Parts: sequence; structure tokens; C-alpha cells
Amino acid sequence: MEGIEIVFLWHAVASWTWDAQDETCGICRMAFDGCCPDCKLPGDDCPLIWGACNHAFHLHCILKWINSQTPQAHCPMCRREWQFKE
Amino acid sequence: MVDFSRVQKELQECNRDINVSGISVNPKSDNLTNLIGTIPGPIGTPYEGGTFKIDINLPDGYPFEPPKMKFATKVWHPNISSQSGAICLDILKDQWSPALTLKTALLSIQALLSAPEPDDPQDAVVAQQYLKDYQTFASTARYWTESFAKTSSLGVEEKVQKLVEMGFPEGLVRSTLEVVGGDENMALEKLCSG
Repeated sequence: MEGIEIVFLWHAVASWTWDAQDETCGICRMAFDGCCPDCKLPGDDCPLIWGACNHAFHLHCILKWINSQTPQAHCPMCRREWQFKE
Repeated sequence: MVDFSRVQKELQECNRDINVSGISVNPKSDNLTNLIGTIPGPIGTPYEGGTFKIDINLPDGYPFEPPKMKFATKVWHPNISSQSGAICLDILKDQWSPALTLKTALLSIQALLSAPEPDDPQDAVVAQQYLKDYQTFASTARYWTESFAKTSSLGVEEKVQKLVEMGFPEGLVRSTLEVVGGDENMALEKLCSG
């Protein structure tokens, strides 16, 4: 069969980024593409999470804040009562 | 455990635009939990021309707990203790948010210098004076700025001379000034307390 090329080797290159507006987490000040200070690797192990107010943080960072606030935590950015975005 | 990587970042960011803000934060010792902030007195207030030092102590929970801040420079203001330098400011207490930084906290303190809240005083004597006799308040505040917040511009020799004239031995004056990093008021306090 003529005209057919066979590919022997194929390098896949991909990049990813979290779809967040700010580039850094307002709590730890690390890049969203990086991870929180307690993690070693960015990605699924250190996810971002959005509040109902649309502010994003590292999940680990906002959990630390929520756990330090009783009974109700507020968004660190806008002070709205913190609720996870549905 | 204090998030030191964040503190380091904060120091870099704050000191980068020091020429614009006039606000600086520097470590007092190696461990980054004791820091010294400086804020210029706001223009058009009795604090104008002064440079105010703020003692900063980072609790273990920082940035989830507010930094502990108090004036190291004596200041005459309704919301700042004229005795201890303690500051009455909501963001340093229950209104703290981890999105705030040492710099934004210092900016808030600078704003407090511009806009006293005598109805929620830290120093009742100052607040009473502010409400009843503003002129006397303003001149006292100016005098305190002149006496305590401007001395850092003096050269070392001038500071030594001033303290020697107060009756302290020169050798002791020099060693004390060195210990407190050249701060004349802190040196005087140390000399007086023996």
C-alpha cells in the first residue's frame, strides 16, 4: 500500500492549569498551579476549591481556616459566610 | 506552626515597594517570628514626620491567627496605649482574615493614626482629651511624635551625647545602644531599668 506512513514514535505533550481567576491562593500566597505548603506535588492531591462567593483556595488551606473558626467561618477574601460551591 | 514560606514572601513583597509605601518589615532575630515594622506618620496629622516602630510577634497559627502587633515607639493616640503601645484594632483581633498580610495590617494601623476612634478607646485618658480638648490632644500628640518618633534620624554620636548628658556613663550608653540596635528610646528604657 502506497502513501501510508507509519508512526513509530509519538511524544505527547500536555499542560494543565486550574481554572481560577487569581493566580495565587489568598491564604498561603502560593501559586494555584503549585500546591499548598503542606503538600509536595500540585495536582489532584492538592485540589482547589471554590466558595459560594466564587473565591478559590487550596482545599487544604481553606479547611485549616474553617477548622480554626467557630462556629461559622467567613471567606478570607470577602467575609461572606463560607459555603462550598455546589 | 507558622507558615514561614509565606512570611518570607511577605517580607520580600513588602520591602519591594518600600519607596512608595514607606512601610517596611524586617526580622528582629533569625527565627522570623519576631519582626519589626515601621510606618511613617500620615501627612496632615500630628504624627506627620515621625517614623513609628511596631513590634510584631507571629503566633504559631499565623496566618490563621492574627499577628500580635504593638507600638514600640511611644505614641499619643486614643486607640493606642500610651503606656504599653497596645493597639485597639479589629483586624488584629476578631476581624482578622488570612488574606490579610503584615503589610496590610501595618497599612491599617497607619490609617488608624489618621482616623482615631475615641468612642472605642484603648487609652481612656487620651480619648477623653481628644473628645474634650482637641487642641491640647493635637499638641501633645505632636510633641510625642517630635520626642519619640524622630530620634532615629540622629547619628549614633548624637544619641550617645544625648544619653551621656542625661548622666549615664559613656561606655554603658554605647553598649546599650548596640544591644537595642541603635534605638535611643529603647536604650533609655534599658538604662533606666538598670
